[in-house]
Amino acid sequence: MGLLYGLIAVGLALIFGLMDVVNFAHGEFLMLAMYASFFLFAFFAIDPLLAAPLVAAALFVFGAVVYLLIVRFAVRAKANTGMVQIFSTFGLAIVMRGVAQFFFTPDYRSVTHPWLGGKTISIGGIFLPQPQLIGAAVAMAAFGGLYFFINRTDFGRALEATREDAGAVALVGIDKNRVFALGWGLGAALVGLAGAIMSIFFYIYPDVGASFALIAYVTVALGGFGSVFGAFAGGIIVGLVEATTALILPPSLKSVGIYAVYLLVVFVRPRGLFGSM
Amino acid sequence: MTAPLLETRGVWQRFGGLVANSDVSISVGRGEIVGLIGPNGAGKSTLFNLIAGVLPPTQGTIWFDGEDVTALPAAERCVRGVARTFQVVKSFETMTVIDNVIVGALMRNTVMRVARRKAHEVLEFCGLAARANVLASDLVPSEKRRLEVARALATEPKLLLLDECLTGLTPIEAQTGVELVRKVRDTGVTILMVEHVMEIVMPLVDRAIVLDLGKVLVEGKPKDVVRDPKVITAYLGDRHAVGA
Amino acid sequence: MDTDFANRRRRDLIVAFCLAAIAAVVPLFVKDVYVQNIMVLTLMYGALSQSWNILSGYCGQISLGHALYFGLGAYTTTILFTKFGVLPWFGMIGGGLISAVIAMALGYPCFRLRGHYFAIATIVIAEIALLLIQNWEWAGAALGITIPMSSDSWLKFQFARSKLPYFYFALGLVCVAWFVTWWLEDSKWGYWWRAVKDNPEAAESLGVVVFNSKMGAAAVSAFLTAVGGAFYAQFVSYIDPESVMGFHFSLLMALPAVLGGIGTLWGPMLGAVILIPVTELTRSFIGGSGRGVDLIVYGGLIIAISLARPQGLVSLFTPKRKEATR
Repeated sequence: MGLLYGLIAVGLALIFGLMDVVNFAHGEFLMLAMYASFFLFAFFAIDPLLAAPLVAAALFVFGAVVYLLIVRFAVRAKANTGMVQIFSTFGLAIVMRGVAQFFFTPDYRSVTHPWLGGKTISIGGIFLPQPQLIGAAVAMAAFGGLYFFINRTDFGRALEATREDAGAVALVGIDKNRVFALGWGLGAALVGLAGAIMSIFFYIYPDVGASFALIAYVTVALGGFGSVFGAFAGGIIVGLVEATTALILPPSLKSVGIYAVYLLVVFVRPRGLFGSM
Repeated sequence: MTAPLLETRGVWQRFGGLVANSDVSISVGRGEIVGLIGPNGAGKSTLFNLIAGVLPPTQGTIWFDGEDVTALPAAERCVRGVARTFQVVKSFETMTVIDNVIVGALMRNTVMRVARRKAHEVLEFCGLAARANVLASDLVPSEKRRLEVARALATEPKLLLLDECLTGLTPIEAQTGVELVRKVRDTGVTILMVEHVMEIVMPLVDRAIVLDLGKVLVEGKPKDVVRDPKVITAYLGDRHAVGA
Repeated sequence: MDTDFANRRRRDLIVAFCLAAIAAVVPLFVKDVYVQNIMVLTLMYGALSQSWNILSGYCGQISLGHALYFGLGAYTTTILFTKFGVLPWFGMIGGGLISAVIAMALGYPCFRLRGHYFAIATIVIAEIALLLIQNWEWAGAALGITIPMSSDSWLKFQFARSKLPYFYFALGLVCVAWFVTWWLEDSKWGYWWRAVKDNPEAAESLGVVVFNSKMGAAAVSAFLTAVGGAFYAQFVSYIDPESVMGFHFSLLMALPAVLGGIGTLWGPMLGAVILIPVTELTRSFIGGSGRGVDLIVYGGLIIAISLARPQGLVSLFTPKRKEATR
């Protein structure tokens, strides 16, 4: 579970690190991905695992479009810049939730997976649900890919450079907007991947994003905004804390542990564990 | 000279392994204009921030008006009578010019009407009265510098700390600035100014303190300081070598 | 120049008084209960947003957890009344004071955080409180508490037949919140808050104790929000954790101010007057709960205003005012 949180959070961290914007519609991106995966399964009988790359690609486009249509203007706002960023993405989140309710109805839906659903696997006597394991494997692979991508490719370097000094990058002839749009696309694609996997073992409904979004913010902030590695580590910590609290407290309180750990961390280290800024 | 208004005694500041100030002891007498100069990285800004109370020194004490203020935060030092400007201007951008100054004036006058009148006086004094109702973000850079001075003066300080407030201005603007500084001193305010460009400061200050590599290199009358061979090698020599 | 300023302040006061007077007579002509209901909600959100605006707009500390104070107010009055028979009037004040104290206790660690870290901490704290109350049997847990209705009474502040008393109370609340803001705007605190918002370091150098300023703003803001929460509990006479402490409430409080103009005197009220009726009307016209059209309209408005008019709708009126003061 922690790895999946990490995967959701990495997308958020990437966007934040790139341009200091927190995407408050991130949970709704996840919701969209889950629906996409659901419909691919329901209408075309495409296995969610196979659909994952498709969903990620779709979300990539969506993320880039959101940047070009909304965020591009939000970061340029002359007054109240911080507020504008927060509330324009919040507005987007509300719209997306409304659209989902309108078209998909508020019903709960789920994907009954043909060969993975409900199976467990036993490792050293501990039973683990198989879908979660697959999810963890995909998440690991995605992290590996991302790491490679950021450190080894031209585009990754362009991202990194833009992050450090957008003005200077423009002088070298890199189009800032293009890089940012691709960054948003990439962030959205990562959450798309997570959404496709999670559609296997979570109910899908219009507000589903909200419950994961807060955990994603906590994960990112725990690791330190802007640190992709931090988000990954944060995800693992959050997963562990959640599992531990579940042992001590009733299930309805399991998030309290995560939140409490978050508060503890930022009160001691206001920049998160691995945050620089 | 009576007891100095400001005194640093054996002040050290370390950032990790880096020593920014080592054993700096300086004093500023009442009514003086003192220039704190030195090449880049000499530790001027660090010392300035220590005096303003942005951070506490690693070692040593800072005395103001006969009181040990080493442990006091910036706001408390402002109450005692230390006011400052910033090297990178920090105006309250969404507020009007007059409102910026009122924030400073509220330091001594809690009655709004009095604070407002005081702020108008200070703006008049600094030559910004015509711009009173303009947003601070709409000012040109030289006006922003003057606004910084006005805001600081509104707190009715005994000591005004100016951080490179004449740097980056056109010669004419700098000349107006120099006149303003003299005018401020004539009202009885002591001034300690950090400046990088010697040419501007030297005619203005009563005394110059040259920092180099975190230490006090030379201290004295401007005309003596500029002739001092140590200063020429550390500062001018260095600059000539690079610049010319 | 001084007189211009005084004139503007006086004009604000007169305009507010006239608006309040007009608002006061409206329900005498508009008898439709549905419309009256919307008016009560509009006034309530106006007041809440005005309170939120003090901390987040003037002082610049973006709180997305104000539902906490709203819920505290609602729960304090309700529990005091149902368990101990304390009249809601005292409960309101009590809830307000408790909220103010809690806001300061939470502010102690939180105000060291900056920007997004602060905003997320406020969400998280409100969420923890929500989860705790949901699991607190004595306080009704997730089911909530119903306030027993007896006869109409000003003493118990409950009225089954007419919305009018609620309307006037909400109007009173708005007036108080507005007046407090108006008064604080030209006070030491008002200037300090705006200075802290724009540049904390410069504010500190001018003798402003940044931390205390934030604490003051948090206390006033939380107090007023809690009184609003107490009112809401009486108005709907039934509370449960999700409906009074849910995250959406934190947003609903912030959005009118965002729409109308953050950190302005008139912004929150203007925003509420537009936002609440528009969403309530779309909800009833396009019909059926759960179809989400109201959300689309709502979110669309917010995006549009954030992008097109980041200073809020109030700025449409200010150019004129600026010329007048020059």
